Amino acid sequence: MVKHHIRTNLARGGWSATPVRVLATSAALLLAVSACGTAPSEKKAAAGSDEPIVVGISLPLTGDFSQPGGEAQKGYEIWKDQVNANGGLLGRPVELKITDDASNQDTVVTDYTKLITQDKVDLLLGTFSTLLNFPASAVAEKNGMLYVEPAGGAPKMFDRGFTKLFFAQQATASHQPDVFVKYIESLPENERPKTAAYPTQDDPFTTPVIESMQKQLEALGVKTVYTTTYPADATNFQTIASAIADKKPDLIAQGAVFEDGVGLIRSLQQLNYSPKMLFQTSAPSNASQYSEGIGVKNTEGVFYTVSWNEKATTPGNEEFVAEYAKRYDGGIPAEDAADAYAAAQVVQAAAEAVKSLDQDKMAEWLHANEVETILGPLAWDETGAPTSDFLLGQWQNGTPEIVAPEAAATVDSAVAKTPWE
Amino acid sequence: MTQLVQALVLGLLIGGVYALMASGLTLIFGVMNIINVAHGALLILVAFITWKIWSLSGIDPILLSVVMTPLMFGFGWLLYKGVLSRISGSSPGMSVLLTFGIAITIEGVLNVTAGNRFRSATPSYFSQSFRVLGISLPKAQVFGCLAAVLVLGLLFVVLSKTWTGRAIRATAQNASGAALVGIQSAGVAALAFAIGTATTGVGGSILSVLYPFFPASHYDWISRLLGIIVLGGMGSLAGALVGALILGLAETLTATYVSLQWSTLIFYAVIMLVLLFRPQGLFGSRLRQDVMA
Amino acid sequence: MTFVDSLRARTEGRRAKLTIVALFAALFLYPVILPFAVYEQGVLLLAFLTALMAVSWNIISGFAGYVSLGHSVFLGLGAYTGGLLAESYQVNPLWFMPVGGVVAFVAAALVGMVVLRARGHAFVIITIALLLSMQVLVTNFSGLTNGSNGVNVPLPFWSSDYQNMPFYYIFLVLLLATVAFAAWIRRTKFGTGLLAIREDEDKAAAIGVNTTRYKVLAYAVSALPIGVAGVVYAYFLSFLNPIGAFALLTSVTIVLSALAGGRGTLWGPVLGGFVVSIVSEVANVYGGGSQSRLLVLGLALVLVVLFLPQGILPAVAARLASRRAAKQTVEYTDQAGVAAARTSIVVTPRSAPAAERKAAPLLEIRGAAKSFGGLRAVDGVDLTVEAGSITALIGPNGSGKTTLFNLVTGAMPLGSGEIWFDGTRIDRMPPWERAHLGLGRTFQITRLFKSMTVLENVVAPLPTASWSLMAKDAVSGHEAERARELLDFVGLGRFGSQQAGALSYGQQKLVELAQVLMLEPKMILLDEPAGGINPTLVNRMVEIIRDLNRQGIAFLVVEHNIPLVLDLCDPVAVLSRGKVIAQGPPSIVRADPLVLEAYLGPEWLPAEPVPDAVLDQAALSAKGH
Repeated sequence: MVKHHIRTNLARGGWSATPVRVLATSAALLLAVSACGTAPSEKKAAAGSDEPIVVGISLPLTGDFSQPGGEAQKGYEIWKDQVNANGGLLGRPVELKITDDASNQDTVVTDYTKLITQDKVDLLLGTFSTLLNFPASAVAEKNGMLYVEPAGGAPKMFDRGFTKLFFAQQATASHQPDVFVKYIESLPENERPKTAAYPTQDDPFTTPVIESMQKQLEALGVKTVYTTTYPADATNFQTIASAIADKKPDLIAQGAVFEDGVGLIRSLQQLNYSPKMLFQTSAPSNASQYSEGIGVKNTEGVFYTVSWNEKATTPGNEEFVAEYAKRYDGGIPAEDAADAYAAAQVVQAAAEAVKSLDQDKMAEWLHANEVETILGPLAWDETGAPTSDFLLGQWQNGTPEIVAPEAAATVDSAVAKTPWE
Repeated sequence: MTQLVQALVLGLLIGGVYALMASGLTLIFGVMNIINVAHGALLILVAFITWKIWSLSGIDPILLSVVMTPLMFGFGWLLYKGVLSRISGSSPGMSVLLTFGIAITIEGVLNVTAGNRFRSATPSYFSQSFRVLGISLPKAQVFGCLAAVLVLGLLFVVLSKTWTGRAIRATAQNASGAALVGIQSAGVAALAFAIGTATTGVGGSILSVLYPFFPASHYDWISRLLGIIVLGGMGSLAGALVGALILGLAETLTATYVSLQWSTLIFYAVIMLVLLFRPQGLFGSRLRQDVMA
Repeated sequence: MTFVDSLRARTEGRRAKLTIVALFAALFLYPVILPFAVYEQGVLLLAFLTALMAVSWNIISGFAGYVSLGHSVFLGLGAYTGGLLAESYQVNPLWFMPVGGVVAFVAAALVGMVVLRARGHAFVIITIALLLSMQVLVTNFSGLTNGSNGVNVPLPFWSSDYQNMPFYYIFLVLLLATVAFAAWIRRTKFGTGLLAIREDEDKAAAIGVNTTRYKVLAYAVSALPIGVAGVVYAYFLSFLNPIGAFALLTSVTIVLSALAGGRGTLWGPVLGGFVVSIVSEVANVYGGGSQSRLLVLGLALVLVVLFLPQGILPAVAARLASRRAAKQTVEYTDQAGVAAARTSIVVTPRSAPAAERKAAPLLEIRGAAKSFGGLRAVDGVDLTVEAGSITALIGPNGSGKTTLFNLVTGAMPLGSGEIWFDGTRIDRMPPWERAHLGLGRTFQITRLFKSMTVLENVVAPLPTASWSLMAKDAVSGHEAERARELLDFVGLGRFGSQQAGALSYGQQKLVELAQVLMLEPKMILLDEPAGGINPTLVNRMVEIIRDLNRQGIAFLVVEHNIPLVLDLCDPVAVLSRGKVIAQGPPSIVRADPLVLEAYLGPEWLPAEPVPDAVLDQAALSAKGH
């Protein structure tokens, strides 16, 4: 009705044959498209009905982060179907409302704003990559919505004083290497690396891992012989490889996202330099892509940290892996799919514990309690940063295994790295 | 010392490949006075097609340039006839906008069809090297550089020994003079654009092996190539060669002794400094027109 | 333009104004009527931002014609300024809006001072390189900028119930302020000068426009609103990182918006900004995701450049104009206007030439030389022009006359030698400084700014380097008044609002003369004032020259119409193969054997002085057109 008025007024005002009317038409069109709304703080009445609970998510289904974004979508959908098969959440069916943000910050902000204020979703789940979770979590916080994110563990994320943000992995980036450092510490003195090189991609998630590792290892007496930070779009690693080969370090610890991890190893192969120990942050967790990239034989002994493993004996993990294989041609879930699934488990646990969708109460409960997920138990401090330890993974005989901590280990012990073939 | 020699060798090997890629760009500018910003995107397009064929059939990616080059020649011809010829004579701003639009369109097409992911062709020799006096010469790099030098040599022969080639060079030096002796500049422009685009057929095939790429990589490549031809002198083939070697070395040395983070900046810095202080570059005629010439 | 016609145009103008007012009133009321349409507000406020950037871009790239492909660099600069200050002081970033604007302005001015010496391709390339290198710099200087970790900006201080409404209004007000700012610039002499630069930069320099200062200022001024908006943008996003803040795609959107709407027009970029951002949002929601956004943007850019290079608004306007023109008889502008009586005018109110007082020549050229490659076009010319004289410069084609003019006015740098004007050595000065000294020129083939109106053409020149003069209104007020007087003086007063390109050739010559008079010159170089125009106009031209000369303006005239030269000028200098071979009163020069040889070749050398008729014919054949 109101829209109508505006249009007629416009028409009377100056609906002349001037070029400007194109401008007016486009705006009028937009006004006409719009729908009436209600105040954002007027939450939908919590219904005891069987009206579905809508969970709003924006994911980078296209663009730079489409790989993890697509995996996350699979994880979320498996969770939804399992919950619905078990009678739903709080007795109500669950629906996902997923939009694509094209890996674009502007769009992720518009998307979450739209989900919260326009679509009036009941719950939110996080998106992928730190870069998108930063602005997205701010939108949620502004609107008083609980925001559990499956990725985005950069330490900076948690010094904004947010109260409704939770990171659904075991540790923030700066605590990610702790498990590897503990492993080194457990080795006899003469088996520990003497020297180390620390190349890392300039990425908010990898840099803190490598910086923290360097600090901790130096404290253990491992001498740093080389450090460098390379840009995210670096494609030629020959210079870094030749600089490293020149220094002959025992340990190479690389903050590698994916392609850069493969790239550096290939260049090291060309130079025929194989360190005694090789650690990479997340690249080796990309199972088959990684082993194809560098050659299966060359994966032997490579260490990495990871939040999840397909063979883990955590509750529900087996069902999750089986369901994933059933849906996607026998595929093995990517870590990102498992993280998304775990994030959804966290939200589910909170809702069931407080028996409502009250965002404040759910956040309060999560700050105080531990949640059992397929990644293992997760708990958080007051900033929403998790307080557990990552898993230490290692490639052995062409498959990724977990070597520490003991509770989650899939093999008895770590193996030595073999030279490049 | 070994590290320095290693860096120099790698720099020269890369420089050879850069030279080939830049030659097409500088040729097009010389004849048509158009900066083809889409040159980088064409390289990535070729790299993607090469990668696809290689992963399906296993045919050596560098060898595939034999197929890709005539294909790109035809594509360049069509692109000129269908699109670029329509704006001949308009302002530099508009021609750059047009080729920029083409570059983004190609990027968009690759995004939609191929997905926004890193790819790279890895034939069996990829992780192997020749070892000479303690220096490693990665085989892929050596083959790539050889192919580039071969094609560059061919290009020089075509441009200096054939009538068509001489017509192109004449037009590049003096369009109105060339017209006086009966060279049709529109025909020459189409030919030059097609030849310039054909070089991406070889360049892109080599790229698919040497560097991982994804649709948006073309910005890196066009910045590099612009840096090279601006340094060498816009429109000068010899300049492109020298500029490519210099910048290949500068990039490798910076990456070795400073950091990869700063090596990307070298090309931008070169573009700005050269355009400001020696706009004609090392060999070229003036690109910049000043109020006080 | 008939009275009815202008009335119609005025009504249409009023209707357009009403439409715009109604539209913006609707946009202002929109959040009041539908306060909770948060999503639509979000889309609209980004459209405001895009439109704002397109309007700003238009100042340097539309008005002045220098295409910047990296304009989003200023959004990033503003955003980072606001974001970093807000993060370190933990206050609401809106306080830093002016700082963001100043940072963008200063950065653009500094970059512009270096970059804008370049023309053509170089400027476009450098603007892209600037944007891409800012990404790298901001990432690498992580001590200052937090590098790739990005910057957390405090959350809005208002209740979440208001959502983005405050941002909506801030961007809307900023947009309107930017449009008003751009409109004001367009009205000033500065704006007219920018258009002149776009149309013909060398000509602009010749009429006293300090092109370097204009371009740098235009670049800086076009960065200012974007810098201010960048601060708000940072607050809106609440998180910044180098790649997102300095995005090339944002630049593409800006360029596409301005281009699609109508480059160089006032409202075109606004229209374009709305259309582009709303279409891209609709494509995002209904067009199967944003995967294809890049493809759509790229194709749109190609299509607009190829098929709609002037943009929507001008295209629609042209369509309307042609429809209107079809309905009525076309009024041809011919010589009729000029034949009408012209008013007399006082042209040189500024100080009499200093040279008169010192009794030195007004213009003195000493040993001037200039070669192009191996060709010595001007080969050691010595020439003086006394104050108050009408000196002729004649000689066969290719003898170096026009080159000499170019050397005197600074369109080309002097090879060797010296040029003095009114007691000042000018050969190292840029063209506009020579114009400010009172040196004006017309061109052999007129170089009016063809898409500007006749009045704008005459208002554009700047007699001094003063900054305040640049800010003067060019549409009304003293400057426009003066321009109208000068147009009346040359008899073209009623053509003020016509496009200069629509005038006849002869009329254009007169307008060019009026343009030069705006400089309040002490001396005018006329390059073939009578060339290619009909005899009536030639007489009118002579009359005007005499009139001006009586008022103290000196002339140096290049002309092939020898009877005219002999009648009008004294002394006469003869140039041949880049050298002055004779100089003196017309009668002496006419009898000089060297002159005859130069014109007719050595075998024609007669024993007796040649009659006028022969010389005339020689001149005609030498002219060759």
